[in-house]
Amino acid sequence: MSMSSDETDVVLTLRERIAANPRPALIWVAGLALLILLELGRIVGWILAAGGAVRMVIGAIPSVPWWVADNVADGLSGVSGGLSQVGGAIGFSVTAALVLIAGAFLVKSLFVPFSVSKKIGLDARQIGPDALSEHLLERLVIAAGLGVGAALILVTPVGGAVDAAVASLTNALEWVANGWTLSDRELISNEGHRSPDGGWEGTFLGLSPAIAWSIRVIVIYAYAFAALVWLWKGYTTYREHYREADWTPRDDWINRFRTHYWGIFGLIVVFGFVVLALWAPALGAANAEANLYSPYQNEFEYLTDDGQVESVAHGTANIQSRSQGGDSTVGIMSYDEYDRWAPLGTNPDGKDLFTFLAFGARTSLMIGLIGIGIATSIALMMSLITSYYKGTIDIATIVVSDTIISVPVFLMVLLLSVVFQQGNHPLADIYSGGLLLALIFGALYWPGLWRAIRGPSLQVAEQEWVDAAKSYGQTPMITMRKHMAPYILSYILIYASLLLGGVIITTAALSFLGLGINPPTPEWGRMVSDGRSYVSTSSWHIATVPGILIVLVVTGFNALGDGIRDAMDPESESGDAGATAAATGGGG
Amino acid sequence: MSQRTLQSEEEMMDERDDVMVEVSDLRTYYDEGKLFGGNPVKAVDGVSFEIKRGETLGLVGESGCGKTTLGRTLVQLEEATSGEIHFDGTDITTLSGPELKAWRRDAQIVFQDPDSSLNDRMTVGEIVREPLDVHDWKTPRERQQRVRELLEKVGLQREHYYRYPHQFSGGQRQRIGVARTLTLEPKFIVLDEPVSALDVSVQAEVINLLEDLQDEFDLTYLFIAHDLSVVRHICDRVAVMYLGNIMEIGPTEELFADPANPYTHALLSAIPEPDPTAHRDRITLQGTPPNPRDPPSGCPFSTRCPARIRPEEYENLDDTLWTQLDLLREIVRERKRAERGMSDRLKSLLGRESRFGSINEIYDELFKGLEIPDSIQPVLEQVADDVRAKNEESALELLNEEFGSVCDTDIPAYHPVGDDGRVSLCHRHEPGHDTPRAVIDRRHR
Ligand code: SF4
Repeated sequence: MSMSSDETDVVLTLRERIAANPRPALIWVAGLALLILLELGRIVGWILAAGGAVRMVIGAIPSVPWWVADNVADGLSGVSGGLSQVGGAIGFSVTAALVLIAGAFLVKSLFVPFSVSKKIGLDARQIGPDALSEHLLERLVIAAGLGVGAALILVTPVGGAVDAAVASLTNALEWVANGWTLSDRELISNEGHRSPDGGWEGTFLGLSPAIAWSIRVIVIYAYAFAALVWLWKGYTTYREHYREADWTPRDDWINRFRTHYWGIFGLIVVFGFVVLALWAPALGAANAEANLYSPYQNEFEYLTDDGQVESVAHGTANIQSRSQGGDSTVGIMSYDEYDRWAPLGTNPDGKDLFTFLAFGARTSLMIGLIGIGIATSIALMMSLITSYYKGTIDIATIVVSDTIISVPVFLMVLLLSVVFQQGNHPLADIYSGGLLLALIFGALYWPGLWRAIRGPSLQVAEQEWVDAAKSYGQTPMITMRKHMAPYILSYILIYASLLLGGVIITTAALSFLGLGINPPTPEWGRMVSDGRSYVSTSSWHIATVPGILIVLVVTGFNALGDGIRDAMDPESESGDAGATAAATGGGG
Repeated sequence: MSQRTLQSEEEMMDERDDVMVEVSDLRTYYDEGKLFGGNPVKAVDGVSFEIKRGETLGLVGESGCGKTTLGRTLVQLEEATSGEIHFDGTDITTLSGPELKAWRRDAQIVFQDPDSSLNDRMTVGEIVREPLDVHDWKTPRERQQRVRELLEKVGLQREHYYRYPHQFSGGQRQRIGVARTLTLEPKFIVLDEPVSALDVSVQAEVINLLEDLQDEFDLTYLFIAHDLSVVRHICDRVAVMYLGNIMEIGPTEELFADPANPYTHALLSAIPEPDPTAHRDRITLQGTPPNPRDPPSGCPFSTRCPARIRPEEYENLDDTLWTQLDLLREIVRERKRAERGMSDRLKSLLGRESRFGSINEIYDELFKGLEIPDSIQPVLEQVADDVRAKNEESALELLNEEFGSVCDTDIPAYHPVGDDGRVSLCHRHEPGHDTPRAVIDRRHR
């Protein structure tokens, strides 16, 4: 090789490339920092919420072996006491080992790019039988590490120390979260009362609540839009200044999506929906805690007809603001008796409908994301395994999935949620039954998803590049992840966005029937159900608004799915695939 | 490719050392239908041969003859059902785990379809580098360096590292595939129809590249192809495959100039003759190759062979009549197989009505206008009766008994032909039979 060509070969990592030309990156990071700073309180709040969820899950995992042990022991206790103890112990160790190994696979593929077993000097060839491959050994070593770690945390004072560390970190974050936030309700407040001289007191700049609230909504959506644009800008900056390839297949997808107006419509609707869910506490015209959850513990001030400023509990005021048809209606874009602004009117309990709606969006999104997240993960994993190994495991999965599919999803959800709720299972309490519902969706939707992507997965597995990977000794795990998953993932993304609409509808339908999400957690289906007897009265808005929104959001997700599909796979005309998934969702 | 003339003294001394791959009685069956009963597909059904160090062995045959499966089995992409593959003395069919992985560095494969052999979501650099990553070769930086050198070596540019496969033509994509197989410095490469998916204009370039690389890196090739002119150009020796068996194997020039096996005759007669004065008639083979789930019990080629040995008493029957008799046998065999109730076979056959027409219709179609000698008239009538009685089994037996020969009953042995280690799988090389060439000339004039 000549020197000159060696010079062009100097390979830079991304960090080095940025160091060589830092300006665009710096500008972008500065913009990002500004955006984060503006909403610091809220963003930290989200992080705390996510952290809390992760903690809950991690906290629940160690209890699984004990739970199994108890059940086994209970089952055997009728036979003999000794047997029951032994059985419990066996159940415990087996489950614990399984949990640890599953954890090891997860940890290895997510966090450990190097070989731990090599680092500590273990060699599969020297210590084990033939069946012990390098990869298995690696997982076992990590599982052992996890086990030791778990034992330390559970039975020694280390656990207390970890707890304390986490707690102080949480406290620090909470302190930050209480700090300044652009979308703070108090900052652009719409909650105030008329002053005797005809103006407003307590609202933002003394504006009327309607205007103050509108400003807040505009600010929040503008902020969210700016954040989205800035993320996009980050991508284009990377593409222009730091990416080595001057073209990637992704560029084509983006170009195709940009001219796909139906898809863009979907994106806009989904964006609006997600923002509504994420910023629900700030977007609501009323304070949710005060207005929805504990109306009698919270008071507010208003101007009486005699020109006095008095305090009244939200609950009391709500009774006067009920929308129940006829004269007692607080309709769209109006103030109630107490001069509280109700952009979408009130519901039959006198609660603010918009606030209810925003929190309902949260519920739907949460259930949708968790449920579809679980379903897609299982479907993706299964489709990788079944299409790579084919044969018996494929057939077994067909049998299992067909069995599950053969029962109508809606019926099954109905059945399961009734069983769990009647049985007062602890799962049914979390998030007013929302988590339970999400888990049920996850368990019921993966077979359909798996079936839908089975064809494409088998096709990908047949590609010669998969054989090529095998021919130079690539492991099945990495082959699946690198050479199959990216292709399957695009299909899954499409079906997932279609199914998400289905989940939203099903949740709404269940709540409409009085199942699913229990009060007081807001849910769109229950809103429709609450308002259905007033549809022909002056309080028509109660059922109509959420009804229209459900249709809009579901259409939006479907449109987005269509757009993604056409962008990634221009040959496939919008066809059976979409129709089937939508039908499953709708009928489901 | 050029015969290796500069062999070292040592290699010359030890003939055994010259053999790189030694395949003995290799079988690769697919058991896909096993769960629902039925025979496995016998894609490779007992082949034995050697590949010498530094040579190019061509593997030719119609599509579906098992040549690709054989190539894939040699690099352990398919598991052999039985038999052995000795690679420099080690039986690689017994390897597993780390040993198999280590061996894979030595044996690589270039795939047929450059569209399918490169993962479109990865850059060329990532694709070519992956084998190095898998085997933890040196440092990442050195890997990148090597990939760029290889890109240059196969006629691309070092800057192509960050391009995606989409940005290249078929010929260039195939070059990328070749670069990938070279990364681990293999000794042996299976080329699975490496140019058949490419434009004719670029085929020669890629072939030349492969030849140059062979010289530069001392590679040994198994070149699978159905384009015989390419094979003649590039290969030192050729193996001709039919229905999972090697029918003939030997030095290229000799085999092309003077084919020994009837199947080789038929295959070669399909190449357009460059010399217009030497006219060799094209031999058209009757029917399609038999189902590899259910190969003939004698010679694999016996159902279509233009030189099949005929019973002495019928030696001078009209050739057209023979063709029709062979066809009749095929039809009865097909009907018998369908009788077994493989529903999918039935479906595919239902399209072809003549096979399920009444025996009278079949006879009409086959023998109309032909003069049927009295000697075989009774046989044909008995066959018709049996078929009408749905007793294909005995009809077939009768046909075999009357018109069959050693070709239908006994698997032939490999007979040496020519001077240079060429062998051919055919009963006609046994003493007492006319040679295939003589018979074909006589029957197909
Ligand atoms: S053995 Fe018989 S059927 Fe087979 S190739 Fe020779 S002549 Fe033809």
